[in-house]
Amino acid sequence: MTTTLSAPKRTAGRLSLLRRSPKLTIGILLILLLVAIGLSAPLVAQAIGGGQDPTETAAFPRWLKPSGAHPLGTDQYGRDILVMVCRGVLVSLQIGAIAGLVSTVIGVIVAFVGGYLGGFVDTVLSFFTSILLVVPTFPLLITLSAYAKEVTLFEVGLMLSIFSWPFAARTIRSQVLTLRTRAYVDLAKTTNSRDLEIIFKELLPNLLPYVMVGFATSALGSIFGLIGLEVIGLGPAGVIDLGHLIFVAISTGALTLGAWPLFVVPIILLTALFAGLNLINIGLEEVYNPRLRSVSGV
Amino acid sequence: MTEPADAKAVRAAETAVAAEAPDGAGASIRAEHLVQRFGSGRGAVLAVDDVSFELDREPARIVSLVGQSGSGKSTIARQVLGLQRPTSGAVTYGGKDVLRLNRKQRSEFRRNVQPVFQDPYAIFNPFYRVDRVFWTAVRKLTDLPNKRAADEAIRDSLRAVKLQPESVLGRYPHQLSGGQRQRIMLARIHLLRPQFVIADEPTSMLDAQTRRGFLDILQDFRVRYGITTLFITHDLSSVHYLGGDIMVINKGRIVEQGAVAEVMAAPSHDYTRLLLASVPAPDPDQRWTERIDIGQIR
Repeated sequence: MTTTLSAPKRTAGRLSLLRRSPKLTIGILLILLLVAIGLSAPLVAQAIGGGQDPTETAAFPRWLKPSGAHPLGTDQYGRDILVMVCRGVLVSLQIGAIAGLVSTVIGVIVAFVGGYLGGFVDTVLSFFTSILLVVPTFPLLITLSAYAKEVTLFEVGLMLSIFSWPFAARTIRSQVLTLRTRAYVDLAKTTNSRDLEIIFKELLPNLLPYVMVGFATSALGSIFGLIGLEVIGLGPAGVIDLGHLIFVAISTGALTLGAWPLFVVPIILLTALFAGLNLINIGLEEVYNPRLRSVSGV
Repeated sequence: MTEPADAKAVRAAETAVAAEAPDGAGASIRAEHLVQRFGSGRGAVLAVDDVSFELDREPARIVSLVGQSGSGKSTIARQVLGLQRPTSGAVTYGGKDVLRLNRKQRSEFRRNVQPVFQDPYAIFNPFYRVDRVFWTAVRKLTDLPNKRAADEAIRDSLRAVKLQPESVLGRYPHQLSGGQRQRIMLARIHLLRPQFVIADEPTSMLDAQTRRGFLDILQDFRVRYGITTLFITHDLSSVHYLGGDIMVINKGRIVEQGAVAEVMAAPSHDYTRLLLASVPAPDPDQRWTERIDIGQIR
């Protein structure tokens, strides 16, 4: 009999794996930092406004330069930029989470039902997915936003998720088609496992990286979508996210007036958001795919 | 003529065992006029063409299904295991179509008919440790009373196939060799003690020494536990080593069958003669001189 390749690390749990993936750690830290920034909005508002809402029109003088009292200055309406940025981060994260979650759930259901069952069901679902994939979504979003000016954050998330699930569905379905013919799926069938057990216990764990990629892509797509709408001034009313701040910066010529934080800070935070989500994707792939883990003693 | 006392005792014991045996004990597997066509129109492939045979529970025996790649062997294995719906014909277990069993009957069928698949690298879900193969089988297909008894049974089964439990349990599939993985599947068979094993080219990816050990275990299972095996292979030397019965399949049709010794000594079909002539001899001076056009053989 051949020798064993490596000794097991039975004590090594998922947490140590998380710790051993620097990409995942950095990604999670970045997202946690952004969440912390978003959640600190009330405290920052209290500290800067002293009981008054610092984002109200004319709360402070216009175009104040960054200072101790206003670390990022104020905009053309005299609103504190730091408080708006903190609130904008939270809104962008919420939009990403809502739209990412809804579209991932829809995408996973469509992918697994179609990919695993095959046949007519798969044909219908694939046809529907393909239609949504080729339809130019941004013009549709613009049209939708014209009819949906007064909407809640959740409704905005739902609206964006309508167009962002097909990518996840297509990616995951292709993997389901591959995995459902694997011998271990046949073995599960001969062990009397039911279809749902096979889907959730045999297929889904192997597809977690793809599900996460689907989530991150949908979340990013939705955040981008809303930013796109905001930047051209078509965003839903009452929703101030990072895109809205960029729109304000562009439309008021903030850069030329020296109010660079209004433009630069949201861009930096958006970059951190995208980097964080993508690093989590890559890190999860390392954690959940055992073949990518180091094999000692080979 | 009076029956000897010990023979009477044996018969009484057999009767008692039969009375305690679950539904389906002693049942046979019958393949009745199996046809499998893939695709349609001009591109259709006839993989299995009117194949019928019977696997009996008693006496336990090894039946080898031999043919070249693409002759329909694996398709027949999948049909027998209830993993592939035949285009026409049926596989019955205990007189019932394996695709029309109710829940209880299916459970009984799964308990008594188990596979060993070809690819030792694809049988295991890479997401889980190899232990799961046993624990799922324990949970679904055995009546072991508690976890301790199950653990002991698993360890006994591993020892029965000459594996050290501590060298394989707790490991991921990629940490084990192909031979170890295939033996684990035999340990699973040992744990479940089914009536029938459908072994689809289980030795094709094993080295010569490991292959022999594997074949010895199959024989051991037949003798000790009365397990009948459908051994699917293209390797006539393995068939010769195992003995028992042989069915030769060519282009989806069984062209010859009988006892291994008889068929190998006096093959009646051209294709069988071709297969026998194609077995490489471990002699550097012996070379194939005759060219055979396989397309001419029907």
